[in-house]
Amino acid sequence: MTLADAGRRLPASARMRRAISNGRVTAVLILLPPALILFTLFVTLPLGESAWYSFFNWNGYGTPSNFVGIANYERILNHSVFHIAVGNTLKIVAISLLIQMPLALFLALLIYKKTPTNAVFRLVFFLPYILAEVAAGLIWSFVFDGNYGVTASIAQSLGLGNVFILSDPDLAFMAIMTVIVWKYFGFHMMIYIAALQSVPQDQIEAAKIEGASRRQVVRYVQIPHIKPAIAVSAFFAIIGALQVFDVIIPLTNGGPSNQTHTIVTYLYTFGLTRLNIGFGSAVGVILFVGAVTVAVFYQRIFMKRAEA
Amino acid sequence: MSEVRLQNISKSFGGHTVLPDLNLTVPDGSFTVLVGPSGCGKSTLLRIISGLEEPTSGAVMIGGHDVTLDEPSKRGISMVFQSYALYPHMTVAQNIDFGLRLAKMPAAERKSRVAEAARILALEPYLDRKPAQLSGGQRQRVAIGRSIVRQPKVFLFDEPLSNLDAALRTQMRVELAQLHQSLDATMIYVTHDQVEAMTLADQIVVMNAGRIEQVGAPMELYDRPQTVFVAGFIGSPKMNLMPGAAVGHPEAETAGIRPEHLVIAPEGLSARALVVETLGADTIVHADVEGVGPMTVRLAGNNRLRAGEVIRIAPEPGHMHLFDKNGQRMGEPA
Repeated sequence: MTLADAGRRLPASARMRRAISNGRVTAVLILLPPALILFTLFVTLPLGESAWYSFFNWNGYGTPSNFVGIANYERILNHSVFHIAVGNTLKIVAISLLIQMPLALFLALLIYKKTPTNAVFRLVFFLPYILAEVAAGLIWSFVFDGNYGVTASIAQSLGLGNVFILSDPDLAFMAIMTVIVWKYFGFHMMIYIAALQSVPQDQIEAAKIEGASRRQVVRYVQIPHIKPAIAVSAFFAIIGALQVFDVIIPLTNGGPSNQTHTIVTYLYTFGLTRLNIGFGSAVGVILFVGAVTVAVFYQRIFMKRAEA
Repeated sequence: MSEVRLQNISKSFGGHTVLPDLNLTVPDGSFTVLVGPSGCGKSTLLRIISGLEEPTSGAVMIGGHDVTLDEPSKRGISMVFQSYALYPHMTVAQNIDFGLRLAKMPAAERKSRVAEAARILALEPYLDRKPAQLSGGQRQRVAIGRSIVRQPKVFLFDEPLSNLDAALRTQMRVELAQLHQSLDATMIYVTHDQVEAMTLADQIVVMNAGRIEQVGAPMELYDRPQTVFVAGFIGSPKMNLMPGAAVGHPEAETAGIRPEHLVIAPEGLSARALVVETLGADTIVHADVEGVGPMTVRLAGNNRLRAGEVIRIAPEPGHMHLFDKNGQRMGEPA
């Protein structure tokens, strides 16, 4: 074999023979089918089925037969509550990106160093994330209770009388967003802490020697370093915001007057609980398409940029 | 005037004392090398000078001013780190310019300083590259460039050549020596490599377990080591140390002779060569010497000696160093 031959690719048949002999083909044949079967059964098939159901007026019993075409989609897109749900979901995305993430970063910068005190703070801040969503929702529904809750006591001591936050169309969704920030900032904080701990200490020290203040070290050294982590955290924040459900049900159940629905609680309320499975499936398809679009564009644009 | 003076510096981490009580003067414009084995406290001392570490007690004076409580950036120092500590998201030019930008220096002056540093360090073709696109030597030059542009009174180097391969290290050593000559600034350089210490320094500070063993010019340390530790640490291959009684000096606890001060002599001690390292210009012989034990002998040229052969060796007169039971030097070489 000459040097020129060595750089050339092997023919396909030879490559296949090599793959068989070194066990790669065997590994693929053994390991791929279980994953493929599970993915097909639990992801691809339900997706396909719900896309199929979305073209029927179907209550979930028997076989769907009342084909309505895109009528479900038309109803959804013209439904004012769906508009509110989409608006609320976008508000949660905005709150996650503009309040939750900066708060998480601020706290991470305060407690990222490995000290016993910081470990305690980390645990305290992370606890809400560990708590089940429904439990968190219930706890906060007691906090916001207009007769006996903490907010009621505060309002009474300020002479404001009884304030029923979760029944107030203007305040209820603010309360929900507060709970969401409280519930999930710890998760983002942990991502930032892990990233901040990997910033080389001597780069921070070099910046200090060059006259950087604490704020400048954060801005010019630490944040550029943890950009990939911020990109991942923002991705989780957006996808998470699109899926908010469990916290809202115990707090407001979408009320008052359907003012606090998100896309998922809308799907649940108007699809599942009212036995409009075809309608609910159509909401699911819309949400899925939205989430996949966001995920693909985000991965392509922001995560690649953060890695660069 | 940029003399660095350390007065009664001590440093403890928790209950562990790294530097018990240390006094040192680094003269203005000198190239002072702090050398010692790992964990001897040399890097801690450098960090105390830089202000990255606070001393437990004592004072740091730079240019006659007490800077003990000053921030690192207010001390008129710059530091080159072992890992280079370049900012990976910035270009070479931005890395060099960073300190000037923070100091809000006018853009024109910043530009000219960066250009001058790039010219001195031959970095002009790389100014728009990111650190990841540079070789180890080029990165180290960027780190040095970042120091130069700030025109500090004192340059601090923390093992800056440790991550480079042997050839590059030699080249960078020469470049650092030239830089010192051209800038005429005070430089304090930490290393565990005594070759770097011998070749670069005007003044070497040998440290051991947080204490200064000896301060002096390289050849002073080589010719007249004040302690057994310095005798064993300075010089490569290291000095042969043996009980004084074994070589006819019963008054000394330890006697030392450098490998190059042993010569082949017909009336000398019998030595069986265990390993022979032929380096071209020299031959290093690791031998078992009758009545003394293992010794290293450095013979000039290639004398074609083989392992297992027996030679007779004797010390050159006036090169035997004697040390008392406290490890301190006893008079002139015998």
